[in-house]
Amino acid sequence: MSTDYLVNITIPMLEGAKITILLFLIAIAFSIPLGFFITLLSQSNNKVISGISKSYVYVMRGTPLLLQLLFICFGLPMIPVIGEYLVMDRFVAACLGFILNYAAYFSEIFRGGLLSIDKGQYEAAQVLGFSRSQTTIKIILPQMFRIALPAVSNESITLIKDTALLYAVAVPELLHFAQTAVNRDFTIVPFFIAGIIFLLLTLVLTAIFRWLEHKFKFE
Amino acid sequence: MTIIQVSNLQKSFGQLSVLKNITFDVKKNDVIAVIGPSGSGKSTMLRSIIHLEKVDNGSIRINEDDLVKNGIYPNDRKIKQITHKMGMVFQHFNLFPHLTVKENLEIAPLVVQSEKIEIVRKRSTEVLEKVGLSDKANVFPAKLSGGQKQRVAIARALMMNPDILLFDEPTSALDPELTGEVLKVMKILAQEHMTMIVVTHEMGFAKEVANRILFMDNGEIVESGSPEQLFSNPKNERTKSFLTKAYQ
Ligand SMILES: Nc1ncnc2c1ncn2[C@@H]1O[C@H](COP(=O)(O)OP(=O)(O)OP(=O)(O)O)[C@@H](O)[C@H]1O
Ligand SMILES: [Mg+2]
Repeated sequence: MSTDYLVNITIPMLEGAKITILLFLIAIAFSIPLGFFITLLSQSNNKVISGISKSYVYVMRGTPLLLQLLFICFGLPMIPVIGEYLVMDRFVAACLGFILNYAAYFSEIFRGGLLSIDKGQYEAAQVLGFSRSQTTIKIILPQMFRIALPAVSNESITLIKDTALLYAVAVPELLHFAQTAVNRDFTIVPFFIAGIIFLLLTLVLTAIFRWLEHKFKFE
Repeated sequence: MTIIQVSNLQKSFGQLSVLKNITFDVKKNDVIAVIGPSGSGKSTMLRSIIHLEKVDNGSIRINEDDLVKNGIYPNDRKIKQITHKMGMVFQHFNLFPHLTVKENLEIAPLVVQSEKIEIVRKRSTEVLEKVGLSDKANVFPAKLSGGQKQRVAIARALMMNPDILLFDEPTSALDPELTGEVLKVMKILAQEHMTMIVVTHEMGFAKEVANRILFMDNGEIVESGSPEQLFSNPKNERTKSFLTKAYQ
């Protein structure tokens, strides 16, 4: 097997990897803030608001991401009357699906972080005169994010691998090019290359989160 | 001069009546030790004074202001204004783990009181020196011993220039060899005439530093008096039996 061949099949796969990374970055950038917002809603004293937040999380976590992606790409346009306005670029639709789905997971991670903060922190802040919002912003959130960091790291690695679901909605990403090469050339090498690219991405991600965890060790 | 006036305080958690009829005064510069068996309501009483618990009935007057009058509280702003001049030190320190020692001290004056950074910095340096932790200014709480943590907690309370300091078993979570350094700081505060209410199991400290002891049992102040009187000549049977056990 020539080096030329390896280069020739790797180049389109790297092109595909760009899509993978782009999806990953967009999904992370939007789903973390959205997830955090959903966490805040879940803490609301208003039963309706916290109920909506809980139902959202339940539905998003209780159904397959693939089903959600198929629904957004192919289901929405079939809705009578409004369907024709809901046709999106496949990639955009996929981004939307990932954001909505991952926001639910991130919101649960943040909620867990919030619940694990000792009530003594709130009491200490109260006797020092902090208002509720000052307590939240200065005392609670920094601790919540710190506690959530390892779980966020885990979830991000899952996300990188989940981008492979783009294959199912026919957005040409890494796996698409691998599969094409496998079919065309009747060799399994492209699968290995795809695997290595994913491993490299995971490696970089792990290193970044390690660094973050170290930086915010508070020791 | 009376600085805190507590009268007929009552509180229940569900069916359990925890404070039954608590009445006592605190004068300026008093150091009051509150002793009594576990579950007698000491923490609940102390926490009510700084509004970490709401009482069901009775009154608490602080500096001539009603924190609660016959079970009725004023609005939140007023409450905050009244409790503002008090600080509290907790059994489990409750330091902010994501902030360094210095930041723990400075955050409330900066955020809550919007004081100038130079003024706050100067004060934090002084206060840290006072509790003997100048060398730990830039360390995170996780790196401190229990005794050091508690001294930071005291320093943090002092940063707000309180008129009154409340302590809820400040040495109970510490290894015995670390209680001394915390008690020493509290003694210094007493000598500087800080008004303090200290819930404690440290009979030695109560005897030596407090000018008045309250003995609580079962939601009531069973007996109160000077350390000499209460320790050497307790009138009430329950006080007697508690003190006998405490010294065993
Ligand atoms: N938030 C709460 N909910 C229900 N019961 C409570 C609560 N806080 C305290 N209690 C109960 O009230 C009673 C008095 O509690 P408190 O903590 O005031 O006692 P204490 O004298 O401080 O005891 P200790 O020496 O163990 O700290 C106890 O029976 C306790 O179980
Ligand atoms: Mg207690």
